[in-house]
Amino acid sequence: MAVDFLEIAALTDVGNVRQYNEDSIAVDTVHGIVALADGMGGHRAGEVASRMATDALVTGLTAAAARFGADPRQHAPLLALGQSINRANRAIHEAGRLDVRYRGMGTTMAAAVFHDNRIAMAHVGDSRIYRVRDERISLLTRDDSLLRDQVELGVISAAEASQSHNRSLVTRALGIEARVTAHITDEPAVPGDVYLLCSDGLNDLVEDADIELIIASLSGNLSLAASHLVQTAKDNGGYDNVSVILAKVREPFPASGRGWIARIRAWFARLFGAGR
Amino acid sequence: MAKLVLSTEGAVVDQCFMDDALVTIGRGAYNRIVVDDPAIGVRHASISAVGHDYILEDLGSGAGIPVNGALTKRRILQHGDVIELGSYHLKYVDSKASSEIDLERTMIISGLKLNVDVAPATDSGEVTQDLHVPSSRATKTHFPNGRIKWLQGPHGGEYKVLDRVIATFGAPDTGLAVVTRRPHGFYVTYVEGAEHPRVNGESIGKEPRHLQHLDIVEVGEERVEFQLF
Repeated sequence: MAVDFLEIAALTDVGNVRQYNEDSIAVDTVHGIVALADGMGGHRAGEVASRMATDALVTGLTAAAARFGADPRQHAPLLALGQSINRANRAIHEAGRLDVRYRGMGTTMAAAVFHDNRIAMAHVGDSRIYRVRDERISLLTRDDSLLRDQVELGVISAAEASQSHNRSLVTRALGIEARVTAHITDEPAVPGDVYLLCSDGLNDLVEDADIELIIASLSGNLSLAASHLVQTAKDNGGYDNVSVILAKVREPFPASGRGWIARIRAWFARLFGAGR
Repeated sequence: MAKLVLSTEGAVVDQCFMDDALVTIGRGAYNRIVVDDPAIGVRHASISAVGHDYILEDLGSGAGIPVNGALTKRRILQHGDVIELGSYHLKYVDSKASSEIDLERTMIISGLKLNVDVAPATDSGEVTQDLHVPSSRATKTHFPNGRIKWLQGPHGGEYKVLDRVIATFGAPDTGLAVVTRRPHGFYVTYVEGAEHPRVNGESIGKEPRHLQHLDIVEVGEERVEFQLF
């Protein structure tokens, strides 16, 4: 059974130019888990790396999510993200070490877990997570990319960045080294929020303002919003693979609201006027 | 590989492949590219490599350096740029970037050395927004011009120019439609609500419909005419 507090639409497309789709997406609607990866490496190794990443992330997070109910710590999803990412990194790195066809392969990733009225997020590389709340878009991740470093250091201005050829240079990826440090964070998620995970094939070709307009206007039909995002990237050139995962929060999802023991406890709490 | 071609009066006098991290330009003999022109400073400009970019910087002429006719203090060089140096021209040629389509593949590179958790201070104090790397390589796509005119409903008589990627009309409960601007025309699609949009009186169901000039679109209580211009 899918979680009913969350609506998810996901789409990946090879684009107009590339021969292969090296992006991978994976969704677990039962536990509210989404993951996306954009692979790199020769001879289709990028496809292998991104698929290994999304598989390992969703498998690891799903197993962990089954235990969230028994784990009252609010940061349990953050720990699960860190562990799943480490496992995915090791698996990809090992495969690259053992098989010459996969040497040097790697992948960016973005993943999110919805639990207890919060979204736990992680990313490595230039895959992004945005939030649209009250029709305004916010970028919740910070790219591991040379371009971002350049802008941050003031080597070039943000306006100049659109002239740069450094868009595709990421400074961190899964599978490249034996260890990786991911950016992991969480924040409250409220009904009406729409979260977007995307590969750079979207945000390189579609302005944030247009992403905002599409999601805010079409949030009542999430799969139409997803197809519009992908279509817009392709209409603007579609040079790269493009992938999007949209997740809309329909209603509050406190951890105590799940499971029959918690529900009975909450009922008693209400009955006797006590706080939970 | 990118290179620089120095010419004067139509004759090539020097070429420089960009295999160094730094190329200096000026009248002084120690510069990598020596420009023998009294209008040029001893140390006039530099070009430094960062990742795949070559960044031209004015080293003190003050007013800036003319690139493609516009004065600039700093510029990320683009294939075909012409830097004016007195009576000389320096052309930047990047064979890799000269194709229309950028097929650059994602690559891993070591980051610049910085403490990434500390945002640099700026005068305004506004950091996060200023540092936001904008999307978009400039797209070369051409989009048609269209607008809708409300014939009926709360906006009766008004026009809306379709200058964004999408525009919605109607209402989520009674029927919401989206008009999508694409390179080869405009499409109308059902989004949500009780009623599917009608084009010239006929329901379009859930499929996108390519709009023709002067098509009448109805959704909910609204009735609009689509116009190309």
